[in-house]
Amino acid sequence: MSEKKIHDDQKYIDGLLKNNSFVIQAIYDKFAPKVTNYVKLNSGNVDQAKDVIQDTLVTIYNQAKEKGLQLTCPFDAYFFLLCKRKWLNTLKKNNKEVTINEVVLSEDDDTQELALETALFTEKQELFNEMFQKLGTACKDLIKATFKIKSMEEVAASLGITYAYARKKKSLCIGKLTKLVQESPKFNRLNY
Amino acid sequence: MEDQDYILFDDYITGELSKEERLIFENRLKSDSTFKKNFDTFKELSSFLENRFEPETNAFMDNLENISNAHFDGMEEGTEKRQKNRFFRYGQFAMAASIVILLGVFIFNQFSDPAYGDYNNHETISLTVRGVEDSVLKDAEKAFNSKNFTQAEMLFNKILSNDPSNLEVELYKSIALIETGQVGEADELLRGLSETNSAYGNKAKWYWAMSKLKQKEFEECVKILKTIPKEAKDYKRAEKLWKKLQ
Repeated sequence: MSEKKIHDDQKYIDGLLKNNSFVIQAIYDKFAPKVTNYVKLNSGNVDQAKDVIQDTLVTIYNQAKEKGLQLTCPFDAYFFLLCKRKWLNTLKKNNKEVTINEVVLSEDDDTQELALETALFTEKQELFNEMFQKLGTACKDLIKATFKIKSMEEVAASLGITYAYARKKKSLCIGKLTKLVQESPKFNRLNY
Repeated sequence: MEDQDYILFDDYITGELSKEERLIFENRLKSDSTFKKNFDTFKELSSFLENRFEPETNAFMDNLENISNAHFDGMEEGTEKRQKNRFFRYGQFAMAASIVILLGVFIFNQFSDPAYGDYNNHETISLTVRGVEDSVLKDAEKAFNSKNFTQAEMLFNKILSNDPSNLEVELYKSIALIETGQVGEADELLRGLSETNSAYGNKAKWYWAMSKLKQKEFEECVKILKTIPKEAKDYKRAEKLWKKLQ
């Protein structure tokens, strides 16, 4: 992955990361119509297309932020493939039997590989979310406060505990989450 | 897994370890595969939690939602209109398509380089005072707000001939001058205005920079933008623009 050349379209990823309205707007103008068309051709409506596009952009943002996503293929192909799969998954979940009307699009190996990485990333995120919900309220609150406020001193003060205790507790809470995640069969399937 | 290890992981990630402690930690990562496996998961979860709860992510989601709504609302309106008038459907489709292409080109151009056109959505102005009838002020306001800048400039001159110290009108006149391509005169006016201590001083700096942007004198533009003080309303967009231009 690291030896591959980064595609010029990385500018879209960087724009999303910077929350650059202009780039986000450009993504909608250039790439959303094709997705909307695809969803509409395959038993969906505009609102559903809107959700698919928004969810996909959030996933890309998360992957860029957490994993330093680097685009090795055109954004158009990658984005469309992600949206398409997301929509097909939605249809599958709703047990809808439909004939798929394919849109011809070249999906080369790089695009497939990158989309696979994103699919794995998404599954992991879902697992992490699920496991986070299993933590006790005290842990959840402390973790939320830590990353929201960013200064441990302020977090400690806001929760009425000492700085040292807040730090220790935060580490142990993430530790607990680590354990929960590692113990889940899904994680072992995803990680190896 | 020892609790102590989790504390160590977090200390390493947040940069709390001394140089020596870091080295020991990194050596252990190399030699102890279970330790490394646990650390990798811990680190992955830390990034996940950080991204999930930090305010930047919320800001991104809100912004995305707004842009998405605007994009799809526009589309729905278009669909409605097309359905109302089926006869012209194809013609409208062609028109819509060409507008999309034009917009695309416009947006693409904007994407590459900031230009004056990105910033000339002037706020509407209001010169008239309620209850006072002044047809020249009213006409000037109307001309400016409907982007009839030649007419507006003429009317501003009329107002200024009776009230030469009206800085507000001077500012609007300079915008009209920029819009009608009389940038030299606009620059002179704005330079003077930006040196005043009036409420319009900072606004004048912004428009002076806009005039330079229109003339593609980017260095001058940046120089002027940088004189806009932090407390000014235009500071944020000024900062953004000079960063883009540099």
